[in-house]
Amino acid sequence: MAAASASTFVPPRQRRRLRRRLTDGLGWTVSTVAFLLLGAATISIFWAIAARGAHALHLAIFTQVTQGTAGGLLNAIEGTLLLAVGGLLLAIPPGMAAGIFLAEFGASRFAPVLRFMSDVLVGLPSIVVGYFVYIVAVVDLGWGFSALAGAIALAIISLPYITRTSEMAFRQVPADMRDAARALGATDGHVILRICLPIAASSVLTGVLLALAISVGETAPLLYTAGWSNYTWNGHLTHEPVGYLTYAIWAFITEPFQSAHALAYAAALLVSAFVLVISIASRMLMAASRRHSR
Amino acid sequence: MFPSRSARSHRLRRVPLAAILAAALAVPLLWAAPTVNLLETGSSLLYPLFNIWLPAYHRSHPNVRITTQSTGSGTGISESITGLAQIGASDAYMSPALERMHPGMLNIPLAISMQMVNYNLPGLNRRHLRLSGPVLADIYSGRIVQWNDAAIRRLNPGVQLPGHAIIPVHRTDGSGDTFIFTQYLSFSTPSWANSVAFGTTVSWPAVSGGLGAEGNPGMVTAVHDNPYSIAYIGTSYEDAIHRDGLGIAALKNRAGKFVLPTARTAKAAASKMVPKTPKNERISLIFAPGADSYPIINYEYAIVNRRQPSAQTAAALRDFFNWAISPTGGNAPRFINRVHFVPLPPPVVRLSRAQIAQIQ
Amino acid sequence: MFKLVTFRRFTAVLGGVVAAVLVAVVVFFVIYAWPAIRLNGWHFFTSNTWNLGNLYANPIERNGRMILPGAHYGILFLIAGTLLSTLIAVVLAVPIGAMAAVFLAECVPSQLRTAVSFFVELLAAIPSVVFGLWGYVVVIPFLGHHVYPWMTAHLGFLPFLSGAPGSGYGLLTAGLVLALMIVPLITATVRDALVSQYRGLRDAALALGATRFETLWTVQLPATRRVLVGSGILATGRALGETMAVLMISGNALNYLPRNIYSPISTMASFIVSQLDSALQDPTGLAVRSLGEVALALLLIAVVVNGAARLLLYYQDRTTGTTS
Repeated sequence: MAAASASTFVPPRQRRRLRRRLTDGLGWTVSTVAFLLLGAATISIFWAIAARGAHALHLAIFTQVTQGTAGGLLNAIEGTLLLAVGGLLLAIPPGMAAGIFLAEFGASRFAPVLRFMSDVLVGLPSIVVGYFVYIVAVVDLGWGFSALAGAIALAIISLPYITRTSEMAFRQVPADMRDAARALGATDGHVILRICLPIAASSVLTGVLLALAISVGETAPLLYTAGWSNYTWNGHLTHEPVGYLTYAIWAFITEPFQSAHALAYAAALLVSAFVLVISIASRMLMAASRRHSR
Repeated sequence: MFPSRSARSHRLRRVPLAAILAAALAVPLLWAAPTVNLLETGSSLLYPLFNIWLPAYHRSHPNVRITTQSTGSGTGISESITGLAQIGASDAYMSPALERMHPGMLNIPLAISMQMVNYNLPGLNRRHLRLSGPVLADIYSGRIVQWNDAAIRRLNPGVQLPGHAIIPVHRTDGSGDTFIFTQYLSFSTPSWANSVAFGTTVSWPAVSGGLGAEGNPGMVTAVHDNPYSIAYIGTSYEDAIHRDGLGIAALKNRAGKFVLPTARTAKAAASKMVPKTPKNERISLIFAPGADSYPIINYEYAIVNRRQPSAQTAAALRDFFNWAISPTGGNAPRFINRVHFVPLPPPVVRLSRAQIAQIQ
Repeated sequence: MFKLVTFRRFTAVLGGVVAAVLVAVVVFFVIYAWPAIRLNGWHFFTSNTWNLGNLYANPIERNGRMILPGAHYGILFLIAGTLLSTLIAVVLAVPIGAMAAVFLAECVPSQLRTAVSFFVELLAAIPSVVFGLWGYVVVIPFLGHHVYPWMTAHLGFLPFLSGAPGSGYGLLTAGLVLALMIVPLITATVRDALVSQYRGLRDAALALGATRFETLWTVQLPATRRVLVGSGILATGRALGETMAVLMISGNALNYLPRNIYSPISTMASFIVSQLDSALQDPTGLAVRSLGEVALALLLIAVVVNGAARLLLYYQDRTTGTTS
């Protein structure tokens, strides 16, 4: 700018306009660059994972269990699904109940307290949750590393997400629908479960999908609750460790063996692809429910 | 609780989902044979050996499922005491205080291993630098900070040492490698014994540029990635050291000789120390006398509880350990040589068998 | 009427589990860490030595409790590592995130906005351990071999940028990756605030002859100030508690403060992961209780930071009527 104004004589008014145009251009450039930077990082991450993971992915990954630092990931794939679904089953009832309570009985004195605590729970570092479940359930209750302990840790982490999306979902339900049902003599429970729930269901599902994506990607709390197993699950809720994909990423990438690296990359590809699919699905669901409510 | 009609419909809607889930969860149950699940966790030095043992053992014992984890010896000791793991792998025997608190724990040697001191000195990795306990102690205390320090030069006449800062790498996890390395420093260097001493976790003096690494694999990676670094790494990672073209030091032993870690020098050291092994087999083999003795060798322990929750688990453990220490089983050359360990001498096998028989 | 009350009570009791969990976790750590809190005192936060003591020596008695000789627990280096890496992350993420939000809100047609935004928001969906993997195999070799040596050579005159460039594991790497992890939070919140803003403000400024960017800079962005601060604090909270990625790229420094921006560090969360499994080998139990104290400190910081952000955002919601 300084160079432009010094080189030739420009009348002050025009100079100001030029400066304003330049600032304008600079501003938009900066914002575009900021976006491109983030987009490039996203692409770099997915490319790094996809390129390396594609090499490592072969049929044995899905059909064999892990043998030390070689073999497949069948045990981890099964365990990841088991833990994530188990966590959701534990988290959905209280999480949804809290969401319903906040949306439908928001006037209660307890509501702001509950909402605040749920929101603070989102920010709880996941390793703190893992530590808590490790000492209480794994060590003191003597469950050992187990599916149940892992699922409880994931449930605690998922709870606030399900609460928040449920609350939003039930708030979206138009008030006149409730009033109409009430005018016809329906009770509160009836209104919420039969009238509101079907309408809110797709939005609630978005929250459940979000929680699922988080559960599939969690590592730190599972290290101390689910442990790790080279074998597929034997059906015991306690006293039997469970494998999961994120462990394979963390533990095997530092091993100085090619086979171990391949397992880590394959696991990273599976986790990332799963998370990507869930994210896209929840986006589409959200868009659909928005169109629906309009 | 809530209106019956809505509750019923609510339940009805959930039926298909519940049925699918129940079916999905039941499938593994149907497959389940009467198997024993065992968790082995701890030493990253033993981890490669367990990983080549298990496929072989699994073929003859398909109903024993042993999971292996490389977490560090400290974890092996911790988790076998708390019962989280049935087999705690450790390069270190339990401390006397833990021994008193948990008299039911056994320390069973499964093999003898060595530890290398490795370095990454561009151009010098083919040469085996000579290092001594006191020099290593000074490096890890930050008193020797440059590779061309007079003390290192004195041990290596004729070697062009670079004027570059040394990056000492140590383990961050509770580690049996740290235990045996700091024992070597303690036994050879009184000032180290009086300050830092030895243990699976020690308070490393703060050294500028020093790095922490997790597990032996982390140590290999750290030395590989950082020219001018030095680290202590278990011999089961010797193949990785050769592949990465890193240096292996000749260490000064008690007799004042510089020796390389080989099967011969390890056996020489073992022959001096093994006769001293007590019944409970808790003994350090570090800094053995003898001109040919490599100074850092140790028993690789399985830390196991005498009392197991079920007779089935106890039997599975006894069978596995008896196989593991047998010269025709786990101590056969085809396993032991691949990780550069030394098989247990017959007198130690006998002592270990006596301990294994106590697992009930 | 009776049923109304019971259904409400039913949801309140079942939903109350959410609040009960938070209370339980806090109470648990206060009780669990209490012996360590009493023994460690304030030195815990001001001294720089985490030392389990001599594990193979006999425990001695101090203040009525058995401890190992030489045991001393101080976490100043963890606090420094946690706060500095978070600071770098937030300082980078807030402006970049806000400017990217400007791009998405103002330069992208509304039909494409969701799709284009997805690119940035996808960063939020990537698991921490995948960030760690990417950092470990892509970022660290690149920064450690190319960028940091260049920075020390050319920017070494600036404080904290001189000295040994290290190996790539360290404070700046952790800060950069953390910035990427928290940036979508800021971008999404600010973008929504810009999009849902009252258009009259913008139109008035444009009518007065302001350029579009001037309008944005002087009118629209200032109006989102509270949202920006609120999401910035939330992002701070997330960066403070990040575990796996930091564990894999920070260099796991022990007992020393970072000397420059490339120095290895440890954070409170990553330290817990790396030390918890072997902490039970301390026969006096002090190691695991002291780690509990680290967790409690982290927990309280998280509660305060998140609580503050939420209160700020609630206030914003109430004053402007928008929901974020």
